[in-house]
Amino acid sequence: MSRVLAYTGVVVILALVQAAWLARVQVWGAILDPLVPLIVGVGILRGAESGAVVGVAAGLLQDLLSGGGPLGVNGLSKLVVGFASGMFERSIYIENPLLPAIATFIGTLLGGVLLVIVALLVGLGVPPWPAIVARLIMQAVLNSAIAPVLFRTIRVIETHFQREH
Amino acid sequence: MGELIAVRRRLALFFGLFVFVIALLTTQARSPDRRQVGAIGTTVLTVLVPVQTGMARVADGVQRMWNLYTEIGRLRVENAKLREALDGMGRRNAALQEQALAGERLERLLGFRGQVGSRSIAANVIGRDVGKWFGTVQVDRGTRDGVRRNAPVVTSDGVVGRVIEVTPTTARVLLVADSRSAVGVVVQRIRDLGVVEGRNERVLHLKYLSRTSDVQPGDVVVTSGQGGVFPKGLAVGRITRVVREEGELLLEAEVEPAAALDRLEEVLILLPL
Repeated sequence: MSRVLAYTGVVVILALVQAAWLARVQVWGAILDPLVPLIVGVGILRGAESGAVVGVAAGLLQDLLSGGGPLGVNGLSKLVVGFASGMFERSIYIENPLLPAIATFIGTLLGGVLLVIVALLVGLGVPPWPAIVARLIMQAVLNSAIAPVLFRTIRVIETHFQREH
Repeated sequence: MGELIAVRRRLALFFGLFVFVIALLTTQARSPDRRQVGAIGTTVLTVLVPVQTGMARVADGVQRMWNLYTEIGRLRVENAKLREALDGMGRRNAALQEQALAGERLERLLGFRGQVGSRSIAANVIGRDVGKWFGTVQVDRGTRDGVRRNAPVVTSDGVVGRVIEVTPTTARVLLVADSRSAVGVVVQRIRDLGVVEGRNERVLHLKYLSRTSDVQPGDVVVTSGQGGVFPKGLAVGRITRVVREEGELLLEAEVEPAAALDRLEEVLILLPL
C-alpha cells in the first residue's frame, strides 16, 4: 500500500508539473513529458503489470488535467507503452547505463504513434506528418535526457520499500 | 506452468485495462461535447485543480519576470541604436545649419554682386597667413577664372583687399588691415578725401584729412575711386575715433573695417570688364 501511495504521489506530481509548467515550454514544438520515462522505468524494473497500471493511471490523469480532448487518449497510449516496456523486463541488461535513455526514446516514439492513431480514430485534428515526426523525435530526445533521473527515482523507491520488508 | 499462469494473468490485466479505456473513449466519442469526466474524475479535479492553478500562477510570475528581463535587454539595444541615430542626426543637423549659414552668406554676396555693376566671381578663403596677423589670405580662384593682379576683393559688408599674387588656380589677397595696404577713400557725409592704411585686423588708419575737416566718429568711409584699383563707393569702414594733435596740419582717425576680416569664408573678386 505504501508503495502504491509513493508511486501515486510521483505520478500526480509529475502530471501537475507537466500540465502547469512544462506545457508552457516548447522546443521545436515538442513538450517534455516526464511521465513517459517514469512509465517505461516502472515497466522495465517492476514488470508489465505494474507498467500497464501506472501507464493507464498516468495517462488518464494527464487527460483530466490537460483539459483538452476526450478521456482515454493518453490513457490508451501510455497503457501500451507501460505494458510493452514490461515485456522486456527479463531480456535486457538492466544495469546498462544507456538503458534508460534508449528505452525512453523508443517508448516515446511508440506512445506518440499510438496517440496519433487514437486521435485520428476519435476524430481529433492532427498536424501534418512532417511536423508530427519532427515533434515526436524532439520529444523522444527531451524525455531521454531526463530518463536517468526518473529511473533513479524508481530505484530509490524500490530500495526503500525492499528495506522496509 | 507458473510462468504460463503469470503470462495469462499479465495479458488478462492488459486486455482488461485496454477494453476499459476503449469503452471510455467510445462513450466520450458518442457524447455531444466528447468529454465526460464522471464522478471519479470530478473528485480528482476538485482536489488537483487548485494545486494546478497555484502552480500556474507561479509560472505566470516567472514568465512575467523573464519577459521583463528580455524586454530590458531589447530596450537597451534599441536605446543604443536610437542614441547612435540621434548622434548621427545631430551631426547632420549641424552640417545642415552650416550649409544654411553658408547659403545666407552667398545669398548676400550674390545680392551685393548685383549692386557692384561689374563682373565678379565668388571665391572661398582656403588659407591664411597666420604669422603676419591676418595680413593676407589665399582664395581658390586664379588666372584660369579670369583673376588678375590688383583685382579688388570685397564682401557684401565691404572692402577686403586686393590681389597681389595669382596662380592658375589660386590668388593671394592683401587685406586692407595689412600695413602695406593703402586705399583712397572719401568720408561719405562730408566728402573729404583721405587714405586708409592698414594697422591690424580690427583698426584701420585714416590719414591725410584736412585739419578743418568736420569728420566725426560714426561717419562711414567709402572708396573714392581714385588710385585705379577699387571702384568708387565701396564701404571701407566706420570712423571710431578722431585724432587731433596740436601743431599738426592734417587730421587722422581710426576706422573700424566694414568687412569682418578675421572671419572671412567667401569673398567676391571684381574682374575687369
